[in-house]
Amino acid sequence: MTGKHAQSEEPRLEARGVTMRFGGLVALSEVDLAVPAGQIVGLVGPNGAGKSTLFGVLSGLLRPSAGRVRMLGADVTAAPPQLRARRGLARTFQHPELFASLTVREHVALAHRMRHHRRRILTDLFDGRGLLGRADRDETEHVDALVEELSLTEVQHQPVLGLPLGTSRLVEVARALATDPLVMLMDEPSSGLDVTETEALAATMRKVVAERGVSLLLVEHDVPLVLGLCDTVHVLDFGQKIAAGTPEEIRNDPAVRAAYLGEDVDDLPSGGELVAPGGELA
Amino acid sequence: MLSYLLAGLALGSIYAIAAGSLVVTYIASGVFNLAFAAMAFTVARVYYELHVEHEWGIVGSAAFSLLVFAPLFGTLLYALLFRFLQGRSTVVKLMATVGLSVALPPLVELALGKLTAVTAPGLAPLPLKVFHVFGATVNADQVATYVGLAVVLVVGVGVLRFTDVGLKVRALVDSGALTSLSGSNPSRISMGVWAVSTTLAGLAGILIAPTAGLHVAGMTGLMAAAFAAVVAARLRNLPLAIGIALAMGLVTTVPQKWITPDGAFAQAFIPSVPFLFMFVALVYYALRGMTGDVQTGGPLDRAIKAEGGDPSAVPAPALRFGRVNLGVALPVVFVGVVALLPQVLDVYWTGLVATGIVLGIILLSYTLVTGEGGMVWLCQISFAGIGALLVGEFATTRGWDPLVAVVVAPLLVVPVGVLIGLLTIRLGELYVALVTLTAGLLAQTLVITEDRFYNYGSGVFVSRPTFALENAAFAYLALAAFVVFGLLVLNLRRSTAGMALGAVRWSEDGARTIGISVVQSKVLVSAFATYVAALGGGFMAMNYQSTLPDSWAPFAGMVWLAVLLTLGARSIMAALLAGLLYALMPGIFATYLPVELGEVPVILFGVGAIALAAHPEGAIAQTAGNIARSRARRQVRRSRSLAAAPAPEKAGVGELA
Repeated sequence: MTGKHAQSEEPRLEARGVTMRFGGLVALSEVDLAVPAGQIVGLVGPNGAGKSTLFGVLSGLLRPSAGRVRMLGADVTAAPPQLRARRGLARTFQHPELFASLTVREHVALAHRMRHHRRRILTDLFDGRGLLGRADRDETEHVDALVEELSLTEVQHQPVLGLPLGTSRLVEVARALATDPLVMLMDEPSSGLDVTETEALAATMRKVVAERGVSLLLVEHDVPLVLGLCDTVHVLDFGQKIAAGTPEEIRNDPAVRAAYLGEDVDDLPSGGELVAPGGELA
Repeated sequence: MLSYLLAGLALGSIYAIAAGSLVVTYIASGVFNLAFAAMAFTVARVYYELHVEHEWGIVGSAAFSLLVFAPLFGTLLYALLFRFLQGRSTVVKLMATVGLSVALPPLVELALGKLTAVTAPGLAPLPLKVFHVFGATVNADQVATYVGLAVVLVVGVGVLRFTDVGLKVRALVDSGALTSLSGSNPSRISMGVWAVSTTLAGLAGILIAPTAGLHVAGMTGLMAAAFAAVVAARLRNLPLAIGIALAMGLVTTVPQKWITPDGAFAQAFIPSVPFLFMFVALVYYALRGMTGDVQTGGPLDRAIKAEGGDPSAVPAPALRFGRVNLGVALPVVFVGVVALLPQVLDVYWTGLVATGIVLGIILLSYTLVTGEGGMVWLCQISFAGIGALLVGEFATTRGWDPLVAVVVAPLLVVPVGVLIGLLTIRLGELYVALVTLTAGLLAQTLVITEDRFYNYGSGVFVSRPTFALENAAFAYLALAAFVVFGLLVLNLRRSTAGMALGAVRWSEDGARTIGISVVQSKVLVSAFATYVAALGGGFMAMNYQSTLPDSWAPFAGMVWLAVLLTLGARSIMAALLAGLLYALMPGIFATYLPVELGEVPVILFGVGAIALAAHPEGAIAQTAGNIARSRARRQVRRSRSLAAAPAPEKAGVGELA
């Protein structure tokens, strides 16, 4: 790994025996999962398998009925999402959760401030920064770099309301990266994107891991994308983990073939075919 | 004891009819009808007109007012207003119904005349017969309420359970989109629901009139109790709402067997009953995690709902005239014009201008909490009232300098705002609106009109600062305060806290996952807004040189909010303009137009709020948007015509080449 975050023995994010019940419905049953440093981990499964519920538990939006969630070994099961974000956990959503009254640039700047200058939420009220509009050089450089890296320069001053879906997803990625995360959870990032946009997004993901050392946990319906991109893949079915391993192991796992991939598995392209070489965003 | 039980059941029956009507219209249309009291008053007034003024019989008057006038009236309101509310944000829906509640009573009085006496007969013939049941006495009006509730329940359950119409209504409740796909017309069903709801409102109004009086204030008490029952029933559970309403009637009446009705405890306890019911229910639901936004319709309805939420939360496009930023220039010019007014107007009009500016300060608190924070708080006026009381306490009773009192006293109100903010932080928008409205009503009854402060309605004297004894000087002092707090609001909006509030408003989950604390953001804006409201209340007390305890009724605050939203919830200048309009328009009408048109400004304020249904962004933002769009279209046309025209230089180069 060449990223700036140091390697660690402990997984950056780990779920142990996570169970989630909604009344009588068991959405997750004793699920274990680990996201090591600098790796891309995939989470796949048919509709209703519990993938989004697990994302909710990992990001702190849902409190599990049983089991623990750890970040770098520290128990964060009871920690709310904002505390996990401050520890280095970021996420994107299947339906982009953007802030319609803010511009693209403000999304990135706000996320950066929340990680690095949290006190500004109070100090701005007294030092008149809102009125005077004084820019912080470190923030400006950081935001400029992210906006450029994700090809958002042209739309950076536009409000996000009305942006195309592909651009909205990039704004979410930029916002998440602005918090300098250790782990980023991406919920169906290719949903609604065409082939070209998907390839570009995959390239961005690889670049993020390679250059920033961020670990990615990816929920995705696009199986070729997952198998081509991930170091490890976990498969959920009806709330239970039925397999985990390398893409090749998953491809050959009979339980997965039976429960999820079916006969089409042999037709799947080999890893990486959908990803643009070089990792540059198209 | 039985007498108290029967009286309690009679009161509870009226609450139950009102609560049932509110629940049915809410689940069928997604609109929580704050105009229920005004609609009840309107139908009851028509009944009174026929029965008393035109001496029709009870049956004829009731049949016409309830079975002819009320359904037609409900249908008309649906056509003119309620149908436009589909898909609008909670605040727009609430404010449109507030507008209706503001405009209706004066319109009715313009049409039918103003009543000097508010005593009105119910559905029982006069003189009232008295019946003796196991030693207890029941009068004919009480019997009429039992019969009224029984008829409503039997007919309502029968129609909903066993008829084709009922099936369609239940289908509409589950999913308007699927109802439409199955060949039914949801609009027609909704119209029918509103017609029935208006009839029920009218029935409740006629039944409550003999005890509460035929005036909107009496009907409002009925509505507040019904609100509490509906909130306690989580807005959707019809049998529970009716059961809680009946229980509320009993809990209000039965204890009066043991306590003196005019005693201090009864004076505090009786008006608190609805709030207590609501509070207990909300704590129970909060502990069970059941107090989020209530979703109406089914998955398909939500899937096809247009994105965008409340357009008033999206900033208006920047306007420029050449190199001049109109977003900066226009407010400066407007404040300059307001500053000139005391120089050119006489003492009377300058006094009204000062009142308008002070009201603008109070309205800034709505700009903060609703415009920036996205929370529909209906108790800001109560904070202003408490601020006025505290300034009176410090400046007059304790001898503080009034200016020091007006700056310090609001700090004592801030914890109340923070507490309400914390208590309502996990509640859905509509719950927040109804809880804060009820809290405001409670504060008005228990604190602001308490004997110590009330002083037979004249309140406590509050002096102005010695340098601002004249109206003109006070107007300048108020304008300076408005400018200072306007700049503070602007600073908040552009600060990290303002951006965080914008984030929380649009996506709490998105905000939390980048490290924003929803609680911190909302408490921050709650505290600031509460301070500004209380400070504005203190200024108002200095303006009138009295705490004026009757000026802080929560329903008056809803009119203020409606006027502000009509102009723009996020515009600081809209707060000043709304304050000035609210203060000056009645004066203009009273001075220059016939006396009978004196209520027209109130009607106009109400109509303005109703217009929010069509233009939720408010007049100022809408005008700015129209100008910006018009200029953009002109630029596009100009660039197209330039592109279409031959380019002589290029042609020349081509020729040379």
